[in-house]
Amino acid sequence: MPTNVIAANGVTFSYGERRALDGLTLVVPEGSTFGLLGPNGSGKSTFVSLLAAMEKPQGGALSVFGEPPAAKLRARVGTVFQENALDPLMSANEILRLAGRLFGLPADFIRERSTALLRELGLEGREEEKIARLSGGMRRRLEICRALLHNPDLLLLDEPTTGVDPDERRALWSTLLERKDGARTILLATNDLKEADDVCDYVAFLQGGRVVAIGTPAELKKGLKRESVRVSWASPSDAHLETLANWADGGEVAALDGTVHITVDDASSFVPRLFALAPGEIRSISIETASLEDAYFQHVSRRLPVPAGGPT
Amino acid sequence: MSAIGAAGALFRRDIRAVARSRSQLYSSMLTPLLFLVFLGNGVSEGLAPANLRAGNFTAYLVAGVVVMTSVFSATFSSASYFTDRNSGVLRILLSSPNSARTVLFGKSLAGVCIGAVQASAVLLMASPFVEFEWQYGLLRGAAIAICTILLLNVMLAGVAQALASRVETMQGFHLIMNLALFPLLFFSGAFFPVEHLPFWLEIFARVNPLSYAVDALELAAYANGTAGFFGLALDFAVLGALAAAVYALGLARTPRLTWSGK
Repeated sequence: MPTNVIAANGVTFSYGERRALDGLTLVVPEGSTFGLLGPNGSGKSTFVSLLAAMEKPQGGALSVFGEPPAAKLRARVGTVFQENALDPLMSANEILRLAGRLFGLPADFIRERSTALLRELGLEGREEEKIARLSGGMRRRLEICRALLHNPDLLLLDEPTTGVDPDERRALWSTLLERKDGARTILLATNDLKEADDVCDYVAFLQGGRVVAIGTPAELKKGLKRESVRVSWASPSDAHLETLANWADGGEVAALDGTVHITVDDASSFVPRLFALAPGEIRSISIETASLEDAYFQHVSRRLPVPAGGPT
Repeated sequence: MSAIGAAGALFRRDIRAVARSRSQLYSSMLTPLLFLVFLGNGVSEGLAPANLRAGNFTAYLVAGVVVMTSVFSATFSSASYFTDRNSGVLRILLSSPNSARTVLFGKSLAGVCIGAVQASAVLLMASPFVEFEWQYGLLRGAAIAICTILLLNVMLAGVAQALASRVETMQGFHLIMNLALFPLLFFSGAFFPVEHLPFWLEIFARVNPLSYAVDALELAAYANGTAGFFGLALDFAVLGALAAAVYALGLARTPRLTWSGK
């Protein structure tokens, strides 16, 4: 039975008056890829900040590798921040050499591992170039090289594939997930639901500093209607949304940024009624099998404040 | 895990960054030399100050300009702290297994080294053109000057670090540093002797840490009497105690950073 690399029980943290974490409870099993999903301000970054021992929990219990987070534990942790954090005046090799020294790695190991990682992530031949001359995607890949340099047991990733083109994502995730000498645990904080659906073994939806749903992507999708209908509809009225909710028969209806998401059992009978409801207002419709995004909207989006132009 | 190794890596990185920044290097050396050439000669020739030996203001000014170089250098070195914080690099450094103090130690040590080398270079470059007394002999005088420069730069690195870790912007930091350090520079004996000041201004000079550095440097290179304004023993006692206390304070003021860098 796998042990838990991360265990949080009722963790609380506030920035002054603002409650960022409000009794957050979850466990991350060893060797798993665990996705933290939630809207901005839901507490994802604060939680990762506590795991990296950059802040201390103000309440509850939190452990990483069975111990309270502390600076020394970072030797087993690799981090990728949401924004690139590379000195533009340094070269890729200099950055990896500095990172290796900060983790106390021997010079030979740094050299060999840097060469291997740079080759694996398609940065071979760019070792001596200044960061300022690398593209956004290359910088992102270099960030991941840096995070993997000391072969960490736990990776804390915040939107790691931002700026990376889709072709490179697969290779990048294969590098992240691969580890020859044992299981690597990954905590992924992201808003990319498709990516989380593809790579995560477990997912937790956060809102208001609490976990509102947790499980495997399959478990979270289980209660959903079978098909997801995405309607490009600029400003549906409240009455229209109410009608859709009645037709959906227990499925979810969520309106956000000019798109209405509806989950239904049978889209083929639902869509014709939709066109009849609002002739001329609907620009396009796509029908997909229900995804983690639909589960997210079921658990998280409906709790958001009602935006102008329609409820969610 | 070697904290010394980590601090050493950060030290080398910051030194390399300054060595690559030619404009910073040249301007930090050129500005003090311009002070000596133009202000020194201008005052010597134009005003013929009677209270100075042979009316030579340039020779008198060297100690003050060396202190001024250290002050500017400490301010510029701290700019790397803000650059690292704004670019996110500081978060990377602080997400390593090292304590924040180790990270700050490595960076501030580089600041001390850069300031001390620049200040010593100004003294070295001025010496062929200026009539120094070297009353303790050249070697002992140079040793006194270098020790003074080192202690001064350790103290200034502590001040800069303590401030930088709490001030939000580089502009705010520069404003505070200038506001605090310029008056201290004026009443330190850097630009005019403090012996002849009115009593109330003399009090400023006595409680001013920079006065002790100027005094020690003047005793080492310029003065032809060993008493000085304070005397070498008091100069080193004050500079040593302040350098240790302020540098420790600077390292204790570790930066507050979260994952998102806010």
